Amino acid sequence: MSNQAISTLEPVPDFAVLAAGLQDEFRALIAQYEDSRSALLPIIHRFQEAEGYVSPQAMQVSAELLNLPLAVVESTVSFYTLFFRKPVGKYMLQVCRNLSCALNGAEEIMAQFRERLGVGHLETTDDGLFSYEEVECLAACDKAPCMQVNLDFVYHLTPDLVDALLAGIRNGTYTDTPPLPQRAKPERSWHVAQDTGKKAAGALGVSNPNAPGGIGDASGRAALQRIVDDTAVGARTHERLVREGQAGTLHPGKDAHERH
Amino acid sequence: MSAIKPVLTKGIGELNLRDLEVYRSEGGYVQFERALKELTPAAVLDMTTRSGLRGRGGAGFPTGKKWSFLPNDGRPRYMVCNCDEAEPGTFKDHMLLEETPHQVLEGILLGAYGIGSHHAFIYIRGEFRRGYEIFRAALDQARAAGYVGSNLFGTGYDLELTIHRGAGAYICGEETALLNSLEGKRGEPRLKPPFPALQGLYQMPTVVNNVETLASLPHILRNGPEWFAQVGPERSPGYKIVSISGHVKRPGNYEVALGTSMRTLIDECAGGMRDGRKFMAVQPGGASSACLFEEHLDLSYDFDTIAKAGSMIGSGAMVVFDDTTDFVKAAHAVVRFFAHESCGQCTPCREGGNWISRTLTRILDGRGVPSDIEVLKSAGHQMTGLNLCALGDSVEPFLASVLHRFEDQFRAYVTAPQAAVA
Ligand SMILES: Cc1cc2nc3c(=O)[nH]c(=O)nc-3n(C[C@H](O)[C@H](O)[C@H](O)COP(=O)(O)O)c2cc1C
Ligand code: SF4
Repeated sequence: MSNQAISTLEPVPDFAVLAAGLQDEFRALIAQYEDSRSALLPIIHRFQEAEGYVSPQAMQVSAELLNLPLAVVESTVSFYTLFFRKPVGKYMLQVCRNLSCALNGAEEIMAQFRERLGVGHLETTDDGLFSYEEVECLAACDKAPCMQVNLDFVYHLTPDLVDALLAGIRNGTYTDTPPLPQRAKPERSWHVAQDTGKKAAGALGVSNPNAPGGIGDASGRAALQRIVDDTAVGARTHERLVREGQAGTLHPGKDAHERH
Repeated sequence: MSAIKPVLTKGIGELNLRDLEVYRSEGGYVQFERALKELTPAAVLDMTTRSGLRGRGGAGFPTGKKWSFLPNDGRPRYMVCNCDEAEPGTFKDHMLLEETPHQVLEGILLGAYGIGSHHAFIYIRGEFRRGYEIFRAALDQARAAGYVGSNLFGTGYDLELTIHRGAGAYICGEETALLNSLEGKRGEPRLKPPFPALQGLYQMPTVVNNVETLASLPHILRNGPEWFAQVGPERSPGYKIVSISGHVKRPGNYEVALGTSMRTLIDECAGGMRDGRKFMAVQPGGASSACLFEEHLDLSYDFDTIAKAGSMIGSGAMVVFDDTTDFVKAAHAVVRFFAHESCGQCTPCREGGNWISRTLTRILDGRGVPSDIEVLKSAGHQMTGLNLCALGDSVEPFLASVLHRFEDQFRAYVTAPQAAVA
């Protein structure tokens, strides 16, 4: 596994310089704990701050520094949703989809983001400017709906504010949030496959199927398809729906029989 | 009842309590200095016990009792402050961290001293980057002023504090998952026993306490345990910050005496429902709690009363729903949350949560069938009590409570003409 991860590297010529420059900070971080392994999260945070994501080299260097197998570092990093293992856009937009925000119009806000950006949950725009994610409660429910832009909060979202925010970032007048550093080209979808499968259900909050994010929308459709593909339960349910003549909600040519 | 003199929230919005001098001018750090110079750790523990303080992190465990479980075996001990706040609907620790970082810090120091610890930690949720920066600045000030470090006030007592940032995982709020994360591991809960009191951080005796629990300590020391104990119901005493959100006029954090009625909290504190809207339900303790309804509103908001009513106050997060709420969507948001945050160690939690979430997704998409309702009714129940931690058991309460009360809303989805989707 680890060799495979290393071999897909994007070349980052000055990584060695970066890592060398951080050595003193890392030593200070390690000294804060009784056990050096505790410094893993702080070190990864520091690398992500510097590179905009957690590169394979960063994991390699961390593993060597803390005397851990690379697989252990990769497995640990993969556990945490704020560590991006693929390059993401300059601006990470994380919009709350949880209850208090949903009660205050988050569905419409999320649909607007998807429509304006042309991407879905866990995706990056082609120009590499924005990555978009629908996240869980951000502990700011009194200011719902809310979001974070590169971890800076934006509260009380309205359709006008969303447009102003995106326009401001695009034309450089939005300065509250510094962009993430980018040492590698952003990936269109930054999560590895097994994560997106699990998280994909997130795109399905909108009941109008033709609305952005509904099942007629590209991102929503991909998610739905995956759910039906993934599970025997889904396939069985679909068969039953076909029998009952209720299968109209699935996309033509994609019914359960064809997939077998 | 709601018009108490603010304790934990005093000065917020009026003073710059991020500044050490301002905090000191309000009596800050006096209690920590007094404790070190005049009180033994045992005395601090005794005062905490007598105050009746119960944990504000969710379970309401008596704080003094928790501390007293630590074995006296000469091993190092750790105090860990839990600032991972991610229970949907809860936003009080976020406020305390950003608005009164020194109060939180003094609370941690007092708690650490109370258990005889020389190294304390605060685990701050990764999303709270700004809170982390604010707290770090406060810690720097406190260190420079001699409140953190070695030989504090010349007493010979050493106390270090390390800030540890999380990186996006609700489950790291569970105390043993938090300890694993603090050890540089995946944030997966541990099998208990052994409890952290015996084998916690680095296998040493450890106490994990919530931000608000610890922030209450300076006030208990200043005013005496009896002052705290006489506020509110006998077995749930003290002041509590309640986070109220959802369909109310004035969502926000409100500090009240425990035992205030939910009606007072909603109508007087949060300004009541929006104009022309009717109250339908309230989640009294975050996403993990079962809904309560109109007939419960006069109940006293305290640990035992709300538990008796079949729910819990948890971390003190009230989410209020009016008559425009689609409870199928609400249930979906809650279940999807737990499915998403499951660490995956236990099969019922990992599979059950995802399965119920997908069923709800399907129902919302107009592809549900009437038998789905029966599945929803039984599936949540079958995954409760079978998991390593409480997350797996948190899927059922909200779903079951709204399914029971608003079954017609669920039925409407599964019997609606499919043409609507064409
Ligand atoms: C899934 C899960 C998430 C939790 N999240 C938090 C949290 O964010 N903050 C918190 O203080 N306690 C949280 N807890 C409770 C902690 O496990 C622990 O009981 C608490 O921090 C103890 O502090 P207290 O005694 O001061 O309440 C969580 C528990 C579970 C099961
Ligand atoms: S109950 Fe869920 S979150 Fe808790 S340990 Fe088991 S799988 Fe993980």
